Amino acid sequence: MSITLILLIIVPLVTAILIPFIDVFSNSARKVLVAFATLLEFSIGMFIIASNFNAIMDNSFFLTYYLGEWIPPIGITLSMDMLSLFFSTLISISLLLIVTYSIGFIGHHEGKYYVLIFLIWAAMHGIVLTGDIFNLDVFLELLLITSAPLVAFKRNRNGTEAAIKYMFYGTIGGLFVFIGVVLVYFNLGTLNFADISQNFSNLSLFVQKIISFFFLTGIFIKMGVFPFHFWLSKAHSACPSSISALLSGVIVKVYVYVFIRLFWNVIGFDVLVATGLNHVILVIALISSIIGHIMALYENDVKRMLAYSTIANIGMIIAVLMINTKLALLAGLLHVVSHLLMKVSLFTATGYLLQFTPGHKRADLKGVAHKNMLIFSGFTIVAGGMVGFPPMIGFASKWYVIKAFLADGLHWGALIIMLGSIFAFVYYIRYVITGYKKISLGPPDKFRLILTVFYREQVVTDIAFFFVIAVIVSGIFFKLMFGPIEGAVQVIQNPSLYINAVLGM
Amino acid sequence: MINNLVFVILFLLGFYAILVKKNLIKMVIGLNIMEGAIFYWFISITDRGGAIPIVNGTQVASQMNDPVPQALILTGIVIGASTSAFLLTLVIELNKFTSSTNPDQIGGMIED
Repeated sequence: MSITLILLIIVPLVTAILIPFIDVFSNSARKVLVAFATLLEFSIGMFIIASNFNAIMDNSFFLTYYLGEWIPPIGITLSMDMLSLFFSTLISISLLLIVTYSIGFIGHHEGKYYVLIFLIWAAMHGIVLTGDIFNLDVFLELLLITSAPLVAFKRNRNGTEAAIKYMFYGTIGGLFVFIGVVLVYFNLGTLNFADISQNFSNLSLFVQKIISFFFLTGIFIKMGVFPFHFWLSKAHSACPSSISALLSGVIVKVYVYVFIRLFWNVIGFDVLVATGLNHVILVIALISSIIGHIMALYENDVKRMLAYSTIANIGMIIAVLMINTKLALLAGLLHVVSHLLMKVSLFTATGYLLQFTPGHKRADLKGVAHKNMLIFSGFTIVAGGMVGFPPMIGFASKWYVIKAFLADGLHWGALIIMLGSIFAFVYYIRYVITGYKKISLGPPDKFRLILTVFYREQVVTDIAFFFVIAVIVSGIFFKLMFGPIEGAVQVIQNPSLYINAVLGM
Repeated sequence: MINNLVFVILFLLGFYAILVKKNLIKMVIGLNIMEGAIFYWFISITDRGGAIPIVNGTQVASQMNDPVPQALILTGIVIGASTSAFLLTLVIELNKFTSSTNPDQIGGMIED
């Protein structure tokens, strides 16, 4: 029993409830609360790492919390193993930085904004920590319904359209997951992950297939993989850039976690192999990857181009996970980190650069480098990382992904990934060239000066630089990440570790 | 068996509304029908025809109905209500910009 696990969910939840009440009295008190809660939540995560450092080092790390002291398989179990810890740490670090970025970036309706951000934070930690399949479904719905208002945050026509689409697709995805939960409960009479995992192979192959199908469809809709990718580009580009970074960088990775947890630890990868679904998913994911790259190639809007690139990269992550060797899982998780860092970095930099441009189109970005050389150089560096140039982390992760494909003899898969990289090179270099084009700088814009005060520019640029530096530094020292990633891979590959730890056998 | 059949019919009816209807409010209603279909199905297939919980000491647990699906459905209803309330808010908001509720004018659900 470790009380810190429930605190990870409760702290942002309580903060979200407190903010509207405090906002009524004073704006500055709300700001203090936001800063305090952000730091508190971050330090709880760090405290978990620090106090269990030895256990993490020898891969025996496991924490549980039984809600209401109900011993599993009856009650709701919160548990944290290496895989949860890996994703929880990613969420904590990126949310800390995105909230800091938002302090400088969002100039209006800040009260509402932070309520939703903290609810998202709570939902994400809930998803990562929960050990109960219905609780997972509830947290997925919470994540959907708290991120949809942020998609419509600009309150213009485009944002509203995007949010309607996002809600329709997300709700239908949620319904598919719910059908899966119903089938699991009807057939096994339990909702606990470990208990399901233990008994799942006793079901007939047909039922196993049906359950896998429903979970798979639900999660793929929510992740925006190929046949269901229509909502993603619009939803991820219609909102302010800080939210684009959150959606495209972090929330999609949480769905990747759900995918991994369900299909390796709960349902079991053997089921996918027995039903032949793993080859289908591999092909779908690679199609998704290449379609994302092609759509990005045809796109003329910088934020939508980045959103399509997300579709491509998620497809790549799913594809490499499907190979299911140790190297492939390691490559997949490394690319999760790498895509998170680079996509958040690109969106934070783009969000700042778009303050200088008349619009989001490529032509509008002409000469933006001369207005702000440093940030645009950062954009260029990270775009290079997206393509796969060393020494950025994109190189390391793509290298391992291709290595995993080749080690398994899937040469065509590696070829598709490399082809995607070439596409990525083309669509990023166009923006870079447009950005560096010479323009005549007029006298300083009066409107800009007002914006500078409004947006508290220093914070925004600092966070953007931080991410650029993080992309380069992590690209050079990426081997340091192999320790925790290998721990996570061990959890993924051995469902029995999870079952024994939860059920206490 | 009849439960499964009713579930499939209701679910497809809701899905049909989302795919075919040219009115966003009707599409939200379709979403609600889909949700309702799942709730109905879950309650009916887990019905053992036993006593209503809570049981007292003299009754055997196997003679009562399973209370867990009902608890789950209650949660599901709350989620469904908030989802449709928010979706309807968005439709009203869109109506302010475009004076219509036709999904085609937002590019439909398939195009982006």
